[in-house]
Amino acid sequence: MGRTITIDPITRLEGHGRIEIFLDDAGGVSDCYFQIPELRGFERFVVGRPIEEVPRIVTRICGVCPASHHLAGSKAVDGCFGGVIAPAAVKLREAYYCAHFLHSHIAHFYALAAPDFICGPDAAPAERNILGVVARVGLEIGRQVIEARATAQEIQAVLGGRKRNVCWCTPGGVSKGLSEEERAGLKPMAASLMEFARFSVRLFKDAVLSQSRWVEAILRGPYTLAIGHMGLVDEVGAVAFYDGTVRVVDCEGSELARFAPLDYARILAEHVEPWTYLKFPYLRARGWRGFVEGPDSPIYGAGPLARLNVAEAMATPEAEAARQELFAVAGGRPSGAMLAHHWARLVEMLYAAERLVMLVADPELSSPEFRVLPERITGEGVGIVEAMRGTLIHHYTCDDQGICTGANLIVGTTHNNAPIQMVTKKVAIALIRPGVTPDAALLDRIEMAFRAFDPCYSCATHSLPGAMPLVARLHRGGRVVAELRRDG
Amino acid sequence: MPTGALLLGLGNPILGDDAIGLRLAALVAERLAASGGGGGLDGLEVIDDCSAGGLELLEPLAGRTRVVLVDAIVTGCAPPGTLHRFTAAALPRTRRLAGPHDADLATALALGRRLGLDLPADEAIAIFAVEIEPACEFGATLSPDLERAAPALAEEIVGEVRAALAATSPPPAGR
Repeated sequence: MGRTITIDPITRLEGHGRIEIFLDDAGGVSDCYFQIPELRGFERFVVGRPIEEVPRIVTRICGVCPASHHLAGSKAVDGCFGGVIAPAAVKLREAYYCAHFLHSHIAHFYALAAPDFICGPDAAPAERNILGVVARVGLEIGRQVIEARATAQEIQAVLGGRKRNVCWCTPGGVSKGLSEEERAGLKPMAASLMEFARFSVRLFKDAVLSQSRWVEAILRGPYTLAIGHMGLVDEVGAVAFYDGTVRVVDCEGSELARFAPLDYARILAEHVEPWTYLKFPYLRARGWRGFVEGPDSPIYGAGPLARLNVAEAMATPEAEAARQELFAVAGGRPSGAMLAHHWARLVEMLYAAERLVMLVADPELSSPEFRVLPERITGEGVGIVEAMRGTLIHHYTCDDQGICTGANLIVGTTHNNAPIQMVTKKVAIALIRPGVTPDAALLDRIEMAFRAFDPCYSCATHSLPGAMPLVARLHRGGRVVAELRRDG
Repeated sequence: MPTGALLLGLGNPILGDDAIGLRLAALVAERLAASGGGGGLDGLEVIDDCSAGGLELLEPLAGRTRVVLVDAIVTGCAPPGTLHRFTAAALPRTRRLAGPHDADLATALALGRRLGLDLPADEAIAIFAVEIEPACEFGATLSPDLERAAPALAEEIVGEVRAALAATSPPPAGR
């Protein structure tokens, strides 16, 4: 009988996410499953509540990207009230979201991605964290990381009125505008984030792209998939975080769909597998055909690289130059190199900063007309934003009194469920060979496959205390014959 | 920058028993306020709605003399409602997966100190963690067992917080 390897990141409430690798008798990989928990009961929780309260509740779904849920929910509520919104509020919300992207992307790159790329996969486990990164790039850079995150959070506080638990958006706009004085104060803050984003892109080039082994691993290793890509684009086809139409292209770049938020259910369908609660979205028109690659695949991915893959450009000059450089190295667009999500995240960091600089220079941001009072209830709305880890869809319905009657959410990690399965299995097959005893370093390289997607499987909103982060169990004949544990 | 002692409740208010840390922080604050005098809230700030973790905790912790964290935990090694008590010194040195989108608390504290932030010593960060069943269903109420246990758990924590407030000086930094 074959063996089973389980990679089980046991933390507190995130503890259900794990990889199970089934080995055949010869020691090769026969199958591989990535399982993450699904939170249940959200619809039941919000049905019966005033619909305008829902965007304030959804910020609690996830402590990792509360602003994404708040904005997607608010757009859905705007739809339930006829879709009117003050133009200045659109810009205010977008500025807020740029700051939120920066806050999140900075943490992801320096705390999660950089340990792989800057410390290297062969570094001692104790070094492969943000402390190891700081040891290599210097304390001053470490301070700048903390300062840049604090600046991004402060911008959100100035715009939204508080640093945490945002409750700013209201139907038709926002509850608080921006004074001229506040806007003036945001300018140097945005400029400092621009400098930090430039530095981060340079750091990636110097530390990663200068090493051919990394470029090879990113572009040509088993970490690649020939699947479709999905993301929001604006009216000229540039990457959009806050608003736009959803575009889907196949692995060769041909457009498969372009749709407005209300049409999402016509384009997307969800497949169910017996071994996981989490569904697998796919393109309805193509039908579910399993976890298959190729130009005919119904499977698509979302997130930073997917956003760049579906777009014709970045809307700001420096980010556009960085985008072109990425695809020049990657050999064209779209790219199926899943590790390039990390690079795309940096291009987006640059875009978010550049766009933020532009927005805070716009006098309309200080307009006193930051809310339009809705005059009618139309009863249905779909709000789509690009969350950090993929397209986020909130769909609400309400009755003629504005009481919520239904809610459906599709989050970024759900879109990536199938790609994560596929690339994890591909890497496991490539690395676990007959005669090779899986060790912690090898398992870490498998883990890199799904870390690129930054999958959000945090049930809870924090991670204290974080013990025993990774356990791999080898089973043979129904019993555990070995256990690999990494406590740090 | 804030100063003095901090009581920080951590958790998700709409994820069932994951909210136990928030509930206990509020109960402890009520009891301390009701007792008045030296055991009251003078010098203690209470945050009972914190849904943050990792690097984001550096800001509220910086400048404090003492910190009491109250949270939920799933060890699987004790019945639900068990109060685990330890300090930050006992936090294992974990890898980043411990907080899948951020640094874990131990790493965040180590980073903050290396960068020169004025953080309390590990021994001055008391952590109370209540064992819960894994919370995967949305709901704004605690399970009945935990609801019943909450007052007694709060009493236990009140003693520790009073001791922290009564302490004239925090332990050596030991950084």
